[in-house]
Amino acid sequence: MNGNSTSSDWDGRYFHVDQILDKPGPRTDPSFLAGDGVKDFLRNQCKILVIGAGGLGCEILANLALSGFKDIHVIDMDTIDISNLNRQFLFRQKDVGKPKATVAAEFIMNRVPGVQVTPYYGKIQDKDEDYYMQFNLVVCGLDSVEARRWINATLVNMVDPENPESLKPLIDGGTEGFKGQARVILPTVSSCYECSLDMLNKPTAFPICTIANTPRLPEHCIEWASVLEWPRVFGDKKLDTDDPEHIGWLFNHALKRAKEFKIEGVTWSLTQGVVKNIIPAIASTNAIIAASCCNEAFKIATSSAAYLNNYFMLIGTDGVYSYTFEHEQRKDCPVCGGESLDISIKKDWTVERLIEMLVEKQDIQIKKPSLSTPTKQIYLQAPPQLEQATRPNLEKKVSELVEDGGDITVTAASLPFNLSLRIKYI
Amino acid sequence: MLKIWSMKKNEDAAAKKKPKTSAAQIRVQKDLTELDLPSTMQTTFADPADLLNFELKITPDEGMYKGGAFSFSFNIGPNYPHEPPKVKCIPKIYHPNVDLEGNVCLNILREDWKPVLNLNSVMVGLQYLFLEPNADDPLNKEAAEELRRNRDQFLYNVKNSMRGGNIKNEHYDRVTNQ
Amino acid sequence: MAQPDSQEIGDATTAVHSQPDSKTRRYDRQLRLWAASGQSALESSRTLVISASATSTSILKNLVLPGIGHFTLLDADAVSPADAGNNFFLNGYSSIGKNKAEEAVPLLTELNESVDGKAEVKPIDEVLQTDEGRNWVKSFSLVIAHNLSQDTLDTLSKLLWDGLGNPPLIVVRSAGFLADFFIQFHEQCIIEPHSETFPSLRLTRPFPALAEWANSTDYDKLDPTEHAHIPFPIILVKATEKWKAEHDGQLPKVYAEKQAFKAAIRDLQKKMDEENFDEAEAQAWRISGEVPVPSEIKSLFALTPLVPASSSSSTNGSSVSEQSNAAFHTLLQTLKLFVESPEGPGCLPLTSTLPDMHTDTESYVRLQRMYKEQAGKEAALFKKILKANFPDTPVDDGMVDLFVKNTHHVNVLRGKRWGAWEEDKSAVASSLESDPRETATHLALSALSNLQSKGIDVTADALRADILTRLPPNTELPEEMTNAVGELERSPTADVPNTAAFLGGMIAQEAIKMITKQYVPVKGYCVVDLVESWTGVVGA
Repeated sequence: MNGNSTSSDWDGRYFHVDQILDKPGPRTDPSFLAGDGVKDFLRNQCKILVIGAGGLGCEILANLALSGFKDIHVIDMDTIDISNLNRQFLFRQKDVGKPKATVAAEFIMNRVPGVQVTPYYGKIQDKDEDYYMQFNLVVCGLDSVEARRWINATLVNMVDPENPESLKPLIDGGTEGFKGQARVILPTVSSCYECSLDMLNKPTAFPICTIANTPRLPEHCIEWASVLEWPRVFGDKKLDTDDPEHIGWLFNHALKRAKEFKIEGVTWSLTQGVVKNIIPAIASTNAIIAASCCNEAFKIATSSAAYLNNYFMLIGTDGVYSYTFEHEQRKDCPVCGGESLDISIKKDWTVERLIEMLVEKQDIQIKKPSLSTPTKQIYLQAPPQLEQATRPNLEKKVSELVEDGGDITVTAASLPFNLSLRIKYI
Repeated sequence: MLKIWSMKKNEDAAAKKKPKTSAAQIRVQKDLTELDLPSTMQTTFADPADLLNFELKITPDEGMYKGGAFSFSFNIGPNYPHEPPKVKCIPKIYHPNVDLEGNVCLNILREDWKPVLNLNSVMVGLQYLFLEPNADDPLNKEAAEELRRNRDQFLYNVKNSMRGGNIKNEHYDRVTNQ
Repeated sequence: MAQPDSQEIGDATTAVHSQPDSKTRRYDRQLRLWAASGQSALESSRTLVISASATSTSILKNLVLPGIGHFTLLDADAVSPADAGNNFFLNGYSSIGKNKAEEAVPLLTELNESVDGKAEVKPIDEVLQTDEGRNWVKSFSLVIAHNLSQDTLDTLSKLLWDGLGNPPLIVVRSAGFLADFFIQFHEQCIIEPHSETFPSLRLTRPFPALAEWANSTDYDKLDPTEHAHIPFPIILVKATEKWKAEHDGQLPKVYAEKQAFKAAIRDLQKKMDEENFDEAEAQAWRISGEVPVPSEIKSLFALTPLVPASSSSSTNGSSVSEQSNAAFHTLLQTLKLFVESPEGPGCLPLTSTLPDMHTDTESYVRLQRMYKEQAGKEAALFKKILKANFPDTPVDDGMVDLFVKNTHHVNVLRGKRWGAWEEDKSAVASSLESDPRETATHLALSALSNLQSKGIDVTADALRADILTRLPPNTELPEEMTNAVGELERSPTADVPNTAAFLGGMIAQEAIKMITKQYVPVKGYCVVDLVESWTGVVGA
């Protein structure tokens, strides 16, 4: 319990939320335990992780805190920039340059008494499975595809069929201008982030010959400056898109080129927008999507109402259009799809013997399988150099290469998905 | 509580597991082991354990670039196949679609990349550039100009450059074996 | 940092000066949406928010952050322990007993120094009783009301509906996981829409310079590189001319003809994969899609202005939005005259924005200039017609230019009075059949509000009984009604944080759309169900 109970849990504090928690609604699952049990879990036991303390993250933290989550952790690797202040409402001018996670955590703890927010200023990749295992839920407000893919794959891979606690619901939100989406991912149970990767708009890229020789748009001139001219002039020196001097250099060179080709419209803002791939962002859309994410987190944590199955998208540019649907799990998803087999083999089996067994297995119809562990290749059928390099492994015992209970990833041209083997020795 | 949980948290830490193979890694393994390359193309891995960085050598057996060996570096990022591999031509060559820094103008390496494409598509696309250089949308404008205006002179320049010669004060790397 | 040889010192200085000021940097991510014009509209707006609930402060947060000019938060009540628990813009426990609006306003204004915020400690009912109070309410540019009692809402909505110059009213109602909102407005003219489609390129009725370029292009005289870089509009203009000559002046109409038209373009390719010809083929739909005036714009021509143009400019005291709507209608009427004018092109004015296309720089720049020049000529003609026909109606030149640039996508919405839809019980009943869950939720919220203002206990039976009075006799309530009624019975007075935050975002989006006039606000009742996470619209 928190030390200061008079000011942190005053009578009537949860008058609003308790109306939901004291009684089921018509669409509430029968397993819902109305009253003290659920409140105790939410307020004293549940541990929730928020990834990202930016546009969505600030909103998510505030909503979770007000909803009654008291043990909240937040990870963010960024520091505060002036352009965040039009929506990231836990930050002020004086905070510019400070880590987002720390400032956000402090703000929430000051404003909402009794809530513990533990910040981590760093990358999600710094943390291991033990770290992620401690949470009941993960809510994600990220702007990077790469980070989302990482956390998604990590949470999917953490699922251990023998341990229900290992399944961590992942709630993910994203926005762009007046549009956004929120989704609930139950790792291995429902469609995951990787399953829907093809729904993403691909970033705009211009043909390199257009940039080099036939620029037409101001964007072409800017890309020329950043893609061709910068590396030509500075070699391996990395372009820092947060450095105004670098942007200034690109802007000037793009502008010069635009003049040369009689192209109008190169501005500082456009230069920055193109090289940083800036996505417009406003407070209101973030509020909607973050609220939706937190609402799902609250419903899943408390079972107080049906939860989103599993994708909500909103377009606010022309009236209010939203679409709620079930995104289907992809059978051939490289993260949550594919087949998983538990295989028991003798400790003295060679890799070659294992491959023979796989080829002979009627139910998987595999030809020419290639095998690897997460850290090394075991045997690759091609290209020739890799085949040669891995050939000596054929003679080796599987048990020399894979520990008991370890995984082997199998790919083959005849397999549209990947196969994962969990090896047990008998 | 959503059914997947119990009210009492299980205190036993789950058995420690190592991170599994990433989606990008699996895709690269699949792409590489299913490469279907003609004898004119060969991959080389500086470190056979690192599938994400390698070279492709193209030795065209027909066309204007016959007799040369052209190496490209492939660098595959963690966001593959959402993002295309980064490909550069290693030697400095005289080609309408490759600039002096090794940038290659191939649509599927940039604007037309899709995750359903694979390394094989990229390699085949690169080889095609040596069979059919495209003079209409060039990267090396002078080479393209030459190809359009004076095919014989262009061919001479190609041969000359492949032997490590100079064209218009620009030195090119030798890419022939002899 | 190593300076390249070509870099001059002057460049570096320019770079420093070109970096935007701190206000532009602060608003960068939103200026990319609504630009300086939208920002200045926001900055000159004045919003009144009635009741300092968690929902209200969430709405305000999302308006203060992007920088509205002024807001007033009106609430006479003291902070209760419940308020202190669910409202982020109160100081928790220490706010209990103090006035809600006064506690919330400093925490809201702190979000953005450039916003002026004020707390008004008065009961709304009292304000609405005096002329002074009523005029004060009408002096805002937007009024937002959350969970007002039914009687108050009736008075307020009638007051604001009675007068074209009065501010729009956004009515927000919520309980637990359910909510709806409605914007009461007479007219919303959208002069700066964000359309994702490019306006007509005038391919079937090319202006002289464009026709001349097409005519003078002889495919056989071009070298392969030039051939592969003819801009697609030129290809399409040529192909259209040819088609018309061979088909009695008709354009391709039916599917087979359209396919034949595309095939003809394909046949023009000199070698495989000429991207400009591929583009021309892909853009061939423009040919049959090009009409002198799109039907949406034609329907605007038929609108009668709510205020006659002449009276609005001479009437003193008409509101800014009223004046701008009147000016918009003047421009709309001018547009009609422009289309009919024998001096004009017989269609909407040309815009100078061109899509990117596969061509060389020189051709693209040439084409761009050509479009720009022609667009300039047509804009001048538009202004001439405006002046000749509406000599007494001065319209700001910037507004004229904006209008002319956007004639393909401008829009006018006509709204309804709050409650008008429900007066037609059969319309509500048919909506209950076609959109059961949305209509059921809306009706249930209306019933809840009625029971609460009459002090009747909120039970499922009482809600159902009330709902039945809103429908024609013997209407059967659908299954969906059970969900809505049950949810409201469970949490009739709950302003839960997530619903409040969700509405905070939704209403702020709508407010921004109303203020900037760049996006289309929702018409009718937008209904929200956060159990299954959907939104829907009824009564539009």
